Amino acid sequence: MNILLLAVLMGFYYWFSRLRFGYTFSSMLLQPVVIGVFVGLLTGNMTLSMQIGAGLQLVYLGVTSTPGGNVPSDPALAGCIAIPLGVLSNMSPEIAIALAIPFGVLGVFVDQLRRSTNAIWVHMADKYAEQANTKGILRAAFIYPAIAGFIIRFPIVFAIVYYGVDAVEKLIAVIPEWLMHSFEIMGGILPALGFAITLSVIGKKNLIPFFIIGFFATMYLSLDTMAVAIFATCVALLLNLFKLKDEVA
Amino acid sequence: MEKQNEVKKLTKKDITKSMWIFYAGAELSNSYERLQSLVFCASMTPILKKLYSTDEELSAALKRHLIFFNTEGIFGAIIQGIAISMEEQKAGGENVTDEAITGIKTGLMGPLAGMGDAIIWAALMPILISIFLPFASRGSAMGGIMPLILYPLITIIISYGLIHNGYSLGKRSVVSLLHGGKMKSIIFTANVIGLTMMGALSASYVSLSTPLTFSFSSGTSIVVQEILDTVAPGLLPLAAVFIIHFYLKKKGPYYNRILLSVVIISIIAALSGIF
Repeated sequence: MNILLLAVLMGFYYWFSRLRFGYTFSSMLLQPVVIGVFVGLLTGNMTLSMQIGAGLQLVYLGVTSTPGGNVPSDPALAGCIAIPLGVLSNMSPEIAIALAIPFGVLGVFVDQLRRSTNAIWVHMADKYAEQANTKGILRAAFIYPAIAGFIIRFPIVFAIVYYGVDAVEKLIAVIPEWLMHSFEIMGGILPALGFAITLSVIGKKNLIPFFIIGFFATMYLSLDTMAVAIFATCVALLLNLFKLKDEVA
Repeated sequence: MEKQNEVKKLTKKDITKSMWIFYAGAELSNSYERLQSLVFCASMTPILKKLYSTDEELSAALKRHLIFFNTEGIFGAIIQGIAISMEEQKAGGENVTDEAITGIKTGLMGPLAGMGDAIIWAALMPILISIFLPFASRGSAMGGIMPLILYPLITIIISYGLIHNGYSLGKRSVVSLLHGGKMKSIIFTANVIGLTMMGALSASYVSLSTPLTFSFSSGTSIVVQEILDTVAPGLLPLAAVFIIHFYLKKKGPYYNRILLSVVIISIIAALSGIF
């Protein structure tokens, strides 16, 4: 696929996923693993696309679960830029992740801009409410924020993906060995951030042993994720049983 | 007192339609000023149009629902259900004041947001992503497709149940939700599964090891990683997770500061050969 079309489609994807149309649907749409599917379909390189998506997902795993809807980092902007650039220049996932991080930070400011402009539509809706204009209120809640969002979001991703491939390829050619190695280290440590955030959000100190159990079940017994999920569910259900008994007694 | 006779009855379909509008736009028009108030009002439009025939009544009702509102969008459906039933009673001539409707909404949005954040966002979402993450790491599209289908499906079913429950039971629905032990045990179960999964994934995906070796003149040498591994495998990755975790607990959610620290530490470690 040519770069122009890819850049246009990525710009649209970023706009649409960040539009937040469909509460939980859109929040999944903007996760790197899902962006990975889209880029994989467009570029024909599903394997690398999903691998980069998975790596990025680990960094942003906990970010979604922060209460209040304030994004401390934007996985969608990071993914919509780093995954296509990574696939086109055949990067290793570690390097693509390192490339993505600054864009994730940039995305926070983009979202602040959107939420500030959204205040305009509430005032517009106040007027429509005065006139009992229900169609106007629906327009203010859906159409206007969508148009404003497009103007704010589309150009960023389009420009960076379109002009980025060249720049990134040149950049990679001149990266020294020590920097490559520090990217590898970074790629190994950054997933810890995602897990640490989820750990902090769930946050109950007395439940931390379950984290340790999961960790060493994988280290010592090499259980896969599905097996851990099944055992954890059973243990949780059994503990509920005992807890309820205690309360009755 | 004379009661209005032509009470317009809402159908199940009207309520479901209201749920869909709220689901579609809960975050779309979110603004710093009044957060979800605009979409809450928008989601009430099909209901209010049916209940109130004069422009004055309709306008007053719309304005009533444009005041500040913010909650978790899935569990918040129960508040919608209750608000709908109150509006129906009001339109039917019962003495339901504006303050009562607003009071219920603002009083419930906090506790339900807490519950929804704990179950829908902190537990269900990361668990679903984690289960299919190994597919993604192996390069399979299923790693993205399955969470994209399952997460909305499960949460919409919950929303659907809660809005109709809120409508038919009114205030009682929340009392049973908040005080029944059921919700507590659901959160507990979700937390146990979530934490165990996070532990398992940390073991597979956080990778950190040290090439440090100390050689002595006697000819023996100490390989640091080997010593660490004899104590327990994966100590460095585990330490990385817990150091970040304790930083977040102590200092607050300064994600970008942590990101920057990781970048700096990685560069120093690469240059000095620690990792």
